[in-house]
Amino acid sequence: MTSVSTEAADGSGSSSSGDAVVRPLIDLTSRPTARTYLREAWRRREFAIVVPAQDLRAQNMDTTLGQLWHLVNPALLVGVYFLMFGVIIDTRRGVDNFLGFLIVGVVLFHLTQRVTLEASTSITQNMGLIRSIQFPRILLPAASVNGQTAAFVPALALAILAVLATGELPTLRWLVLPAVLVAQFAFNFGTALLVARIGTTMPDLRQILPHLFRLLFYGSGVIFSVDAFVQSAAWRRAFALNPLYDVITCARWCLLGEPVDLWVVAGLVMWCIVMPAIGFWVFHRSEQRLGA
Amino acid sequence: MSDPAVTVEVRDAHVSYRVFEEPAMGLKQGFARGRMRRQYRMIPAVQGVTLDLFEHETLGLIGPNGAGKSTLLAAMTGLLPLRSGSIRGRSRPSLLGVSSVLRPALSGRRNILIGGLALGFTRAEVERRMDEIIDFAGLRADIDRPMRTYSSGMRARLRFAIATARIPEILLIDEALTVGDEEFRRLAADRIDDVRSASGSVVLVTHNMNEIRRFCDRVVWLDEGRVRAVGDPADIVDSYLAAPSPNSR
Repeated sequence: MTSVSTEAADGSGSSSSGDAVVRPLIDLTSRPTARTYLREAWRRREFAIVVPAQDLRAQNMDTTLGQLWHLVNPALLVGVYFLMFGVIIDTRRGVDNFLGFLIVGVVLFHLTQRVTLEASTSITQNMGLIRSIQFPRILLPAASVNGQTAAFVPALALAILAVLATGELPTLRWLVLPAVLVAQFAFNFGTALLVARIGTTMPDLRQILPHLFRLLFYGSGVIFSVDAFVQSAAWRRAFALNPLYDVITCARWCLLGEPVDLWVVAGLVMWCIVMPAIGFWVFHRSEQRLGA
Repeated sequence: MSDPAVTVEVRDAHVSYRVFEEPAMGLKQGFARGRMRRQYRMIPAVQGVTLDLFEHETLGLIGPNGAGKSTLLAAMTGLLPLRSGSIRGRSRPSLLGVSSVLRPALSGRRNILIGGLALGFTRAEVERRMDEIIDFAGLRADIDRPMRTYSSGMRARLRFAIATARIPEILLIDEALTVGDEEFRRLAADRIDDVRSASGSVVLVTHNMNEIRRFCDRVVWLDEGRVRAVGDPADIVDSYLAAPSPNSR
């Protein structure tokens, strides 16, 4: 053990010489400021990239299709919904390209759902790590978000190919799609922090979340056009408060040219700012108690 | 400045924590009494502890179960809030406890990578130190097996090797050496020396008085959340072992 690095690199080597600067003591019982905390987390950002990459590789290792499941799963979902709602119960009313409509809705909804479910157990599943090593705990939900988002990229590529196959042609509006996805990422990140925090004191959350998402699913117009089915303008405005409806509707505007209300755009902008702020505030506030 | 420099300063610290009580009654009585809510009460675990930790020092912390040793360590890392008093230090201490595993399903090698990244190493740095950490943990033959297949001694060695891969300035060890064998203790002693020679401090909580005699320069005896005695390891250990308290060992 010849070369050891020390956290107190500055000045610690000369402290035996007598004239060393005595470093001031800091309060250990108060939490670090948001700025210091984020800087520490950023310094260790590699954790939130390498760890989920490894988890993903390990996830479907014992299945025949392996990593292909990240593609097959959303494709099967689209198939089931198309059969149920497109063919058997006809909800195609008011939509020109129902398959494309369904693909965009299902894939984007699925992403937020996966991120949220994964993040809700990100703290409780890593108690061993938390109790052994001091590090900014925000890295754990961040790893969930990154992992699920990375797994979603091939599904998104497939969805875009499928939309092209249904007869859509790329327009200038497609260039707006990255902005919509970035907004969704920000929303997902905030939600992940919030559920990670709640999940530590209330493990029941894991049971509640699927039902919450079922409810959100019907309120997000994944399988039907809200504009065609909901007549009242006031009710349509209420839909704009649903962040997932905002994401999906804006993405459909980009890819399919479906109409979008200004309220929906405003809703998306609001959510992608407010949710990360709420999530970070709640998470950072009780960071120190997460390991106890 | 003839006094050695202080690394951690604890002043009149009080820590209480909540414990949930599960009333011993069936569902029926529970409904009958109309209170299925969990009840809790506050346990005053640390009640006015004052102590200083100095550079180049290994401090032993002894006392019967429930004396507040682990609670004090948790408060020093900021894991538990103080009710009153203050704890200040040069930097945030690293706490090494007896939790079982990091990621049970992953191999020892992957656990080293994950732990190293959490400590703030880059991936390249972890890769560079990988062999050194594996050798320190003495796990060369078993490093690619899932961590859940390790014995408790192997897990302890690996966790210790990971957590001290970056030599912390203030290292708090809560019963983490107890499960290891003699070889591991020798390596642990080396790491503790590394911390001390880099102007750091170590706090060691243990029920094993041989560990105290071997590693510590000074001992604090905690009893019912208060400091009962401070001093030379030999003296304190002798009077601790001679104390009449029924569960003082």
